[in-house]
Amino acid sequence: MTSPPALDITGLTVRYGDTLAVDGLDLTIPSGQTVALLGANGAGKSSVVNAVLGLLNPAAGSVGILGRTPADAVRAGCVGAMLQHGGLPSEARVGEVLDLVRRSFPTRWPLDDLVVTAGIDGLLERSVDALSGGQRQRVLLALALAGAPPLLLLDEPTSAMDVEGRRAFWTTMRGLADAGHTVVFATHHLDEADAVADRVVVVAAGRVVADGSTAQVKARVTGRTISFTAAPDRRLESLPAVTGVARHGGTVTVATTDADATLRALLADGGLPDLEVRGATLEDAVLSLISTGHTHPIGAVR
Amino acid sequence: MNPLLAFQLRRVGRNKQYLFFTVLLPALFTIFITKIIGGQMGDAAGYDEVAASVMVSMMAYGALGAALGATIRISFDRASGWLRQLRITPVPQTQVFAVDVAVGAILALPSLVVVALVGRFVNGVQLGTGTWAVLVGVLWAGSIAFVALGLLIGLSLEEKAAGGAIGILGTMLAALGGLWWPVEMFPEPMQVLAWFTPSYWYAEMGRDVAAGTAPALLPVVALTAFTAVFAALAVTVARRRPLHAVSG
Repeated sequence: MTSPPALDITGLTVRYGDTLAVDGLDLTIPSGQTVALLGANGAGKSSVVNAVLGLLNPAAGSVGILGRTPADAVRAGCVGAMLQHGGLPSEARVGEVLDLVRRSFPTRWPLDDLVVTAGIDGLLERSVDALSGGQRQRVLLALALAGAPPLLLLDEPTSAMDVEGRRAFWTTMRGLADAGHTVVFATHHLDEADAVADRVVVVAAGRVVADGSTAQVKARVTGRTISFTAAPDRRLESLPAVTGVARHGGTVTVATTDADATLRALLADGGLPDLEVRGATLEDAVLSLISTGHTHPIGAVR
Repeated sequence: MNPLLAFQLRRVGRNKQYLFFTVLLPALFTIFITKIIGGQMGDAAGYDEVAASVMVSMMAYGALGAALGATIRISFDRASGWLRQLRITPVPQTQVFAVDVAVGAILALPSLVVVALVGRFVNGVQLGTGTWAVLVGVLWAGSIAFVALGLLIGLSLEEKAAGGAIGILGTMLAALGGLWWPVEMFPEPMQVLAWFTPSYWYAEMGRDVAAGTAPALLPVVALTAFTAVFAALAVTVARRRPLHAVSG
């Protein structure tokens, strides 16, 4: 018998009132993988994380963590998580909070090593109320690691960190992956996914739009975007190499895989007032992935 | 001791306001009000009656303030995200809830004991040893009504509103429930209003015990009913309000 996957999500659907946040999402993550959930703000990443942890009840679908339900997995200490809006209690010391959480798990990360791994050296005696944003973030990471859980779920773990803190954090996460932990982290930084993950899952509008190795997904998103002012009736979708078109008022943004060919065609077709060409941001890339209407995720599904 | 209970008690212990408002203030009130009103009584019997009544009122005031203060704070833990963080540790949710109830109940005790000591040794209230024990015991048990109310308020209100509610609610319950001056001094409609406060029945229970009898049935039933309603509502709110926060 094979062991169940670290995370098995089937048909997950999350609604807030009339808003559909997660739309029938399927995702299976075997033990030992380091996976980046990549997507713009509002793509549904946090909803997925919250549903996996049992913090919200999905409208449909199921979540399995090492073959258990979310509630059972959390109770059994199978999962450690760093939430985007997780918090620390006031009027407490860091060491007390860490001790409380460590003792609640069946297994415990050795304290000396945990302090070094999470980078909270010298903070244990500190009052929680006196921590900086980056320090809080590292303490929350320490809480996620405290029970040495097999599955780690980190929702935008580096959002409050400066560049230096972010790099140190990536090193930590790579170390965790090397130690055999399954690490799933949500991010909207492509470079972060690239630096840490061995698999990237791009989420947009609550669905998986790309799933593959970092190299595979990056190849998809290294296009360029061309912005200019255009009349609303100007036809752009059929131009060479265009993968997506977005309009904001009079400004048009065209995603392209070959800026040269697209620009030539645009010039032949008329003027290009307020022209701007840049490398695609993740938002643009995700836009192009959606608007080209991928019904099947690109890349190898593993 | 349960690690979460020890942790929560340590946190509250760092709060100096708690000590002032729920222990020191009721103790000082006990002395002042007894001196002022009791001093106006012509005879010793009148003074004794006032001294005992004021002491019971202030025991009730301190205990309900402590119970409310300790439990409404759950709103701060929700706002900071700590409740959510706890929820994703193996600590069972029922234990988180039970510990908050226990903390509220434990914190009500010092006010009861300190005010009783002040009543006995400063104001000279004379009760039998057994009566003292029953008085503290009955008021301690009754404080669960305010633990339930505090949890209900703390779970329902946002952080700022909850912070304000700690002081306002305690003051209103004390004033309307006849803890600062006897209900008999109220105009008629206000006396009726007092019947709709749990604090009135809470103090009535204590007064019965201080008078040397068992608490009458009505106060016990009324306070139990308040407790049941508060607890049921608190559980409903806890189940209804999600702990997740989403922005991406």
